[in-house]
Amino acid sequence: MVGTFTAKLATQAEAFEMLQSDGRSLRVGFENDRLNEIRQGQSSGISIRAVKGGNIGFSYSSNPEELDAVAESAIRMAPYGKKYDYEFASESKSAHTRPYDERCGNLNPDQMVAICNHIKDTVKAIDSEALVDCGVSGGIGQSRVVTSNGQDCGEMESSFSFSVSLRLAEEGNFVQDYRYGIANEIIPEEKILAEAEEVAREFQLARKNAPFKKGKYPVLFAPSALSDILMPIAVCINGSTIEKKVSPFVESLGQQLFDKRITIVDDPFIQEGPSGGLYDGEGVPTQKRGIIEKGVLKGFVHTLSTAKRCGHEPTGNAQRGVSSLPNPGLHNIVMAHGDDDLEEMLKKTEGGLYISQMLGTFTSNFLAGQVSGNISLGFLVDGGQRVGRVKNCALNVNAFDLLKSGVIGISKKREWVGDRYLPYVLVDGVQISAR
Amino acid sequence: MKEQLTELAKRAEADYCEIRVEDSRQTSIAFRGQDLDNVQESHMFGGNVRACVNGCWGFVTFNDVSTVEQRVGEAVRNARAAAAASVEKSVLAPVDAVEDIVKLDLKSDPRKVKLEDKINLFGAYNQRMLDKSGVTSTSLRYFDKYTRLYFANSEGTWLDREAMDMGMGGSAIARANDTTAAGSTSEGGRNDFDRFRGLDAKFDEAAKNAIEAAQSEVVEGGSYTVVCDPHLAGVFIHEAFGHLSEGDNVAEDPRMQEVLKLGRKFGESYLNVWDTGLDVGLRGYLPYDDEGVPTQKTMLINEGELVGRLHSRETAGRMGEKPTGNARALNYRFPPIPRMRNTCIGNGPHGKLEDLIKDVKLGIYAIDSAGGQTNGELFTFTAGQAFMIRDGKLAERVRDVTLSGNVFDTLRNITGIGGDFYVQDGAGGCGKGGQMPLPVSHGSPHIRIKDVVIGGK
Repeated sequence: MVGTFTAKLATQAEAFEMLQSDGRSLRVGFENDRLNEIRQGQSSGISIRAVKGGNIGFSYSSNPEELDAVAESAIRMAPYGKKYDYEFASESKSAHTRPYDERCGNLNPDQMVAICNHIKDTVKAIDSEALVDCGVSGGIGQSRVVTSNGQDCGEMESSFSFSVSLRLAEEGNFVQDYRYGIANEIIPEEKILAEAEEVAREFQLARKNAPFKKGKYPVLFAPSALSDILMPIAVCINGSTIEKKVSPFVESLGQQLFDKRITIVDDPFIQEGPSGGLYDGEGVPTQKRGIIEKGVLKGFVHTLSTAKRCGHEPTGNAQRGVSSLPNPGLHNIVMAHGDDDLEEMLKKTEGGLYISQMLGTFTSNFLAGQVSGNISLGFLVDGGQRVGRVKNCALNVNAFDLLKSGVIGISKKREWVGDRYLPYVLVDGVQISAR
Repeated sequence: MKEQLTELAKRAEADYCEIRVEDSRQTSIAFRGQDLDNVQESHMFGGNVRACVNGCWGFVTFNDVSTVEQRVGEAVRNARAAAAASVEKSVLAPVDAVEDIVKLDLKSDPRKVKLEDKINLFGAYNQRMLDKSGVTSTSLRYFDKYTRLYFANSEGTWLDREAMDMGMGGSAIARANDTTAAGSTSEGGRNDFDRFRGLDAKFDEAAKNAIEAAQSEVVEGGSYTVVCDPHLAGVFIHEAFGHLSEGDNVAEDPRMQEVLKLGRKFGESYLNVWDTGLDVGLRGYLPYDDEGVPTQKTMLINEGELVGRLHSRETAGRMGEKPTGNARALNYRFPPIPRMRNTCIGNGPHGKLEDLIKDVKLGIYAIDSAGGQTNGELFTFTAGQAFMIRDGKLAERVRDVTLSGNVFDTLRNITGIGGDFYVQDGAGGCGKGGQMPLPVSHGSPHIRIKDVVIGGK
């Protein structure tokens, strides 16, 4: 059907790109210590970018049967659309393979309920008062991109995820903590339970408050908080901020912007990475690429459009849902480990903070390098140990300055935080505001 | 449609069953810098079935409406599977069944405005910002979305409801001395496209704010008295108290019920807070929620005292309280959960901005919002722009002002509420449980809060 349709579309539009996707998923969710919901989802969609009169029109429908209506709408939109000043993807096959676990599409709800029960039991054995929300979900899907330039690529996707969230409301003290994991294959139960145990132990520690005054301190960022600190870099190497020249890094390729110990790679092929893929949202084969190597800025991430406008090569970083236009984005962010032992780093954090979670940092002025927000889960470090939670304090740091001249140590140990594989980073001289 | 869906919902072998079918069409326009980045038409059609057995839910979404009977079977099967491990009883608060057809009542219909005219209107605003010296880039996005929603449940409720939603947000980005800063403006609503016309002055202001902010210094961190403008105060009450009032935070948490006991004192006697679905024309307007419950004005804090919360039928049933019409779903792909509509702080006795700042020796005047987040107890939100207050007067502009605090302390620390209540709608929305952006509104007069932690240098 698609072949007949695209042949017809080729006669109506000067160029086109069609994206089709469909998928199904299953989720078991516990809320407030009990099984709450079994959720089953099915979704599909088709979108078309069509060029007419040198401009691009775009249209989308959740009904894959509406091919003709979507094409007609895209062509009708074209006179108003963006200029077609690049080429849709041409024929090119990825040389890589992608992990695909078909078991993610055949999950048994009873087994998922059992895993959630085991998560709850694991937490309760450590802290019986914690209220547990948790969930396990999985699904499979497929996507296909066809262009008038000869590209016709598709791939199967599988995903599996879990989440564990603990909370306890006491007068004057709410404690919350969580962990989650995403992978493109089933995550073994023992690994999920190990995460549940770890979060329960951190939660217990967080129930005790520690006194804290405003001032400058060494701060050990756990991978979950480092992820926030890296946001300004992710925004400022993004092709859309480069194209519009609002990024401070426009002229900085090849420059030493950060500490020599900092290396960041965008890796769509790393086995455990959930955001991998063989092709990006425009059908361009993806690449493993250095973004920062030993502190030197090495690359930006582009769609076909931003690459063309910046005079750069496409990078295979177009990200999109089927209903939206592509934007540049990183796949899996992998930061190189350092040489430091985590226990030694904790000792060096003496009198300072171990920050596990930040709140509301997404509202920061990332283009200026700022990261600001409430420290929603931070611990005072004393005698090489986390001794209690600090509350009612906030930070507002310039991540570019911090990662250039404030780094004391980077851990050997790394952890996955969603699609980011990050170490612990110890920095000095962080101004913490407190009441 | 009515007979088929109502019959299927009633026949379902569950304690409760509902079916939702949704057909929506959206037009989107986006500018980035000089480019008309996107002009798009989207069509979403699909539905869901939600079944409840022994307090456990089965939820199934679909795109192919011809499979609805099969989906009812799947939702019931999932609910039964979940219930097999449960000793709960379903406790949905009772409501009267309703049958209603809700037609659009528009002052001016965006569907009757030609696409070219919309592009020209918003393109001119975008160009206006770009033309200002010092502005390096812009972004402007507009959407209008028409939805027809069919809802049937096993108790005989049938709704055939039309809704319109419109929003626009524009930002200027300026760069000076290696610093980038933004200035923004927004508009939104449900019944009047003409509200997007005649906004030149607002876009001029956004550009001016960006240019001046890029030339200003980062605020010095510390604990300050902060005066918030009505927009930011509205975001504050949404983030800091509205989310806490949502019934799913409380219904199954005995300790939280203790903390949020009705009658508890939360603020001064001049603090009044409500959430309402009744304000026609605002993005938070909602005649029926997504469980088919008529909405209402729900008082949350009356003269400083906690008096209510925001419920779905399930959370109301579990707490023995009345449903408030707050069960909302982003679209058919999600189940309804307790959410806000239009959340407001009422007028107080402390006059205008000048009256609120005149006794502040050192403080911050925080205007507009770049967004915020809460975890129940703690919150963070960033001001769109900010000025220092020195010796009772507005002083120099500062940038990157992020307010952080503890919800309970901060409500108690509201030391002044003005009398200049205002609601400003925009293009954004609220996020919760992966459902974002849900159209909501918020309003307030100027308010003054002491001891707010500001992160800074």
